Amino acid sequence: MNNKFVMAAAPGVETEVLPVRGRVVKSKWAHNLLTFLMVFGPGLIVMVADNDAGAVSTYSQAGAQYGTHLLWIVLLLLPVTYFIQEMVVRLGIATGKGHAAMIYQRFGRWWGLFSLVDLELVNFLTLVTEFAAIDLALNKLGVDPCIGVPLVAAGLVLIAVTGSYRRWERTVVFLCLLDLLWFAIAFRLHPAVGQIVRGSLIPGMPPGGLTPDLMFLVVAIVGTTVAPWQLFFQQSCIADKRLRFADIQWARLDTFLGACITITVAGCMMLAGNASRVHGFTFTDPAQMAMDIGTFSSGFFKNAILLMMINAAVLGTTAISLSSAWAYGEIRGWPHSLQLPLRKAPGFYVVYLVSVAAAAGLVLIPRAPLQLIILGVQVLAGVMLPSAIIFLQLLLNDRELLGEHANKPWNNWVNWTIIIVLFILSLILAAQVAAPKLFPAA
Amino acid sequence: MATMTNPMELGELTNHFVVIHPLDDVPEEKVDTENLGPMKMTASVRISLVSLRAYLVLMMLMVFYRVLDLAGLFARHG
Repeated sequence: MNNKFVMAAAPGVETEVLPVRGRVVKSKWAHNLLTFLMVFGPGLIVMVADNDAGAVSTYSQAGAQYGTHLLWIVLLLLPVTYFIQEMVVRLGIATGKGHAAMIYQRFGRWWGLFSLVDLELVNFLTLVTEFAAIDLALNKLGVDPCIGVPLVAAGLVLIAVTGSYRRWERTVVFLCLLDLLWFAIAFRLHPAVGQIVRGSLIPGMPPGGLTPDLMFLVVAIVGTTVAPWQLFFQQSCIADKRLRFADIQWARLDTFLGACITITVAGCMMLAGNASRVHGFTFTDPAQMAMDIGTFSSGFFKNAILLMMINAAVLGTTAISLSSAWAYGEIRGWPHSLQLPLRKAPGFYVVYLVSVAAAAGLVLIPRAPLQLIILGVQVLAGVMLPSAIIFLQLLLNDRELLGEHANKPWNNWVNWTIIIVLFILSLILAAQVAAPKLFPAA
Repeated sequence: MATMTNPMELGELTNHFVVIHPLDDVPEEKVDTENLGPMKMTASVRISLVSLRAYLVLMMLMVFYRVLDLAGLFARHG
């Protein structure tokens, strides 16, 4: 590849007025590769950040309780998560605006404010669970959380306030790639390949059949794989990165690769849980699972799982806090871009900072009601998800807004099927958590 | 790799491809969403939104009940 920087005029723009910086390559292949690498980011980040602390807990619990029997459900979620985020890609590129702004402008003030308040609330509660996981993992690593948690929070603020979208994206992509360590962890725990293939490709019930506990776990797996903040995050991220219509195919590929990575990493988390089950351990939480795994494998795996837990929580925190900050900035009309320095977008950065700092601070309060917060996250996510994806679907059918990028009939068939299933599952989860007496056997 | 301070003649780029990072490119013209106003709602869209509102009210009542329950408001005494 013969690369060099050039200053070339963008189509229709006077060179003297707005020069743009590009790179010259000689082959079409190199052009495609370089374009993809430049577009790459939002899709990978949204997908990998979705495997946050809650996801680590849910997937490892699924593996610890049901072995490889639920792998097919995770695999089934690959097209689901891709199709939903692909809609976000089209909407973000066509409008150049975030999801919150679109709901506000197209559905009016009531729905706009409702979506914002719900998003901010569920995001904040989720952030508390992320820091709770960091606190737990640091404890097991022998680090005092009173020192470790504020340090992690400070690091999270520092990566966002540099005034450079690219700097933030590169740091976060690096953290996303660290997630690949889950492959090594799963591989080194010597899983039975035949069981993995069978569990992934042949849908079936675990021994014991469909119990309320299993139903709850399945709903939690679906809920953790498709989360409301993802819609807001990826659309705002695409708008902030200023992706162009010509980038759509590469943004789709970015999203698809991200979906593949997040689903296979989720499978690896299940395999880690399965390894602890095979050795006779009972699952309590992922940090304890790491300690259990450390007793029959090297201490490296114990530490690796604990560090991956922290990494998952860090990725979740930066993505969720940013989705809050972007959404708030969009609705309030404030400058809201990672490209802007702190002094030019103070409101945007303050929302990010307050989200991170308040969640970290709450975790350090002795006897904070963490269980109640986790419960709240599950219920509010259940409330939020159906409404968020219905707005998404309605916006994607808005030809006035999207023109040729609006949904095709086959998109609608696929998406409405996904929406109905998610709606039912979210309703069951929220009802099961909010009113457990309706499900006495659970 | 060389950095050029002057614009390269586009003619020189024949048989070459220029790749520009989205953040270095001139902002693209997008749909003017501000002037579109609220979405024109068909009957089915309106019904969807009313149903969604009813669902949300139901869920919020359920959550409220659960919070009161957790607070011990419905606990039996004695």
